[in-house]
Amino acid sequence: MGSSIPQLEIVIASGKGGVGKSTLASSLAILLAKKYYIIAVDADAEAPNLHIALGIDEWDVVEPYIEGRIAYINRDKCTDCGLCANACQFGAIEESNGKYYVNKWICEGCYTCSFVCPVKAISFERDIVAGHIYVKEKTIYGFPLVSSEITPGRPNSGKLVTEAKNKAKKIMGSKKGLILVDAAAGIGCQVISSIAGAHAAILVAEPTPSSLSDLKRIHKLAKHFGIPSMLVINKADISEEYREKILEYARRENIDYLGDIPYDENVPRSINTMKPLLEAYPDTKASKAIIRIAGKLVKIIDNISEWRLKHLPAKIEPFIPLIIKPGNNIVK
Amino acid sequence: MFRITVTGGKGGTGKSFVAVNLALLLAKHFRTVLVDLDLEAPNDHILLSIDKLENEEPIKLFLPFINTNKCTKCGVCAKVCDTGAILLPGGAYPIIFPRLCSGCKACYYACPYNAIIEGYHVLGYVYRTSIIIENTELTLVTGVLREGEEHVPPGVNYTRKKAEEIETDILLMDTGAGTGNQISIALKNVDLTIIVTEPTPLGIHDMSNVLKITNEMGIRTWTIINKSSIGDTSKIYEISNKYNVEKIYEIPYHRDVVSSYVERKPIVVKYKNSPITRVFNEVAQSIMELVRSNGK
Repeated sequence: MGSSIPQLEIVIASGKGGVGKSTLASSLAILLAKKYYIIAVDADAEAPNLHIALGIDEWDVVEPYIEGRIAYINRDKCTDCGLCANACQFGAIEESNGKYYVNKWICEGCYTCSFVCPVKAISFERDIVAGHIYVKEKTIYGFPLVSSEITPGRPNSGKLVTEAKNKAKKIMGSKKGLILVDAAAGIGCQVISSIAGAHAAILVAEPTPSSLSDLKRIHKLAKHFGIPSMLVINKADISEEYREKILEYARRENIDYLGDIPYDENVPRSINTMKPLLEAYPDTKASKAIIRIAGKLVKIIDNISEWRLKHLPAKIEPFIPLIIKPGNNIVK
Repeated sequence: MFRITVTGGKGGTGKSFVAVNLALLLAKHFRTVLVDLDLEAPNDHILLSIDKLENEEPIKLFLPFINTNKCTKCGVCAKVCDTGAILLPGGAYPIIFPRLCSGCKACYYACPYNAIIEGYHVLGYVYRTSIIIENTELTLVTGVLREGEEHVPPGVNYTRKKAEEIETDILLMDTGAGTGNQISIALKNVDLTIIVTEPTPLGIHDMSNVLKITNEMGIRTWTIINKSSIGDTSKIYEISNKYNVEKIYEIPYHRDVVSSYVERKPIVVKYKNSPITRVFNEVAQSIMELVRSNGK
C-alpha cells in the first residue's frame, strides 16, 4: 500500500441505476481482497443489493437504527382547520372527507405542523426504527461486508449510510486497508454520504444517452469534493457512438479510464445464482474484463498519492448554494 | 384527473422506459402529462429526444434569515432545527447553513419573536416542455436537482405540485430508484401504481419493499416484469399475489429495446410491430378502461 495513505476509501457510483455497480463491486472486492485487507460497504440503504450479489443470506450482527419522529393527530382535539397541511413542506398531511391525517410514509418529524396547530392536537411518535445496520464479519471470500437498509418510507437514508460507513471504519480500526463503498443510484443524500471522505471514485457508465447524462451529474459531485475519478464502461459494445462520447468526456475531464466490460449474458445468469460473476463464470468475457480492470486498479492503489495528484479535478469546483434573500435578490 | 405512478425500488429496471412509452400511447386518447420525479437522475426527456427543456422555474425551498431587530438570541430556532442547519454561537445571532437546511420551516413557526424572515434557496429547477410526436401532444414536467443539493423529498413534492396545476386527464409520474419518503410522495393519492421490476434476486428484493408501501397505502397496483426472459419470474408472481397485485405483464428482453434506447426513439414510435410495443398497447388499453370507468 502507498505509505502516505494507510487507509483508503474508494467509492463506486454511477448516477444512473442498474448500470452494474454491485456486479462490479462484488467481483472487484473478491479480487482486491487477495492483495489487501478490504471491507465492503453497501451504501444503498434504500435498495441494498451487494449482499445478494455476494450470496449472503445470514448476518453476524443486526443493529436497529433508531432515528426521527412521526407526527400524529389526536382526533379528540383536532378541529380539521387544515393549517398543518398547508404548513407541511413535504406534503405529508392529507385530507380525506374533511378530516386530516399524517401520511407516516412521508412525515420527516420536523415539528412544523405542531407549531402551527392552534389547538395543540399534534403529538409525535418517537424512537422510530428507521432501519437496520448489518454486518457479515467474514464473507466466504474472506472480507467483511457492512450493509444497511432503511425502513421503507423513512427519510434521510444518507444518515444511515454515514452510520454504515462509520461501522466499517470501526472494524478497520488502525489496520491498513481499503474500504470499498458501493453507492446508490442518483446524486442525493445517500450518494453524498457515500462520496464524502473518499480518496477516489470509480464511476460506472453504460453507453446510453441516459447514462452519459447521469455520469456528468455524479462526476460534478465528485468534483465538488475534489475527488479524482476513474471510469469503467459496462455493456460497452451496445453502442460504439455513446462509448466514444463517454470516453471523450473522460478525456476532457481527466478521468482515468480503467477499461470496458462487454455485454455478457452470463452476468444476469450469475446474478440469478446469487454468486459473484467472477465465481460463477470465471472464464466468461466479462470476468476477464473485470480481472484486467482490477489489475489496473491495484497499480493505482499501490501508487495512490501519485495517481491522485495526476488525476485531481482540473479545478476545484466547490458546491455553492443558490440563495434568494428576502426581497428576491438572488445571490451566489 | 387520473393519477398513475411508475416506480420499482431498484435502479435501471426500466421505469423511465415504461413511463415514456405508456405516456405516448395514452396521449393519443387522453390529455396526458408525464412527470419526471427522478430529480437526481432525470432521463425521461432524454428518452423522448428532447434536447432542451423549456419554461424553467426554480424549485424554491424556504431558507431562514434573521431579523436582527427582533431576534433576542433565545436559541429556539437552533433547538427545533432537525438538520443542524442553525448554529447559535455564544453571544451572536444565529448562523444558517443553507446546504443543511431542508426548508421545513419549523424555525419560522417556532420563533417566539417573529424574527425569522422568509428567504429561499434554490434546490433545483422545474421545467414544462410540450412535444408533439406523430401528431400526438404530450406535456412533460421535469424536476432537476442541482448537483450537490441533498434534500430531495421537498423537491419531489414541489415538482408534483407544479404538475398537478396543469389541467389534464392523466397524470403519469415516473419516480427515482429507492424506497425512501421521496417515493411515498409520488405514491400518495394515486389511482394506480405500476411497479417495474426484473426477474433477478436484486429486482425482487427491492420490489418487495415498494409493495409493502403500496399495499399499506391501499393503492391499486400492477407489476411489469421487464427483461422477463433473463430469469425465473415465478417468485415475482408469488410476491405480487401476496401483496394483492391486480395485473402482471411481462416484457421480454429484446434487441429492439436497446436500439430504440440508443437512438433516443421510444419503442412504441420506432417499432410499432415489435412484441414489446404489443405489451405496451395491452397495458395502455387496460389503463384507458380504468380511466373511462373513473378508476372504479
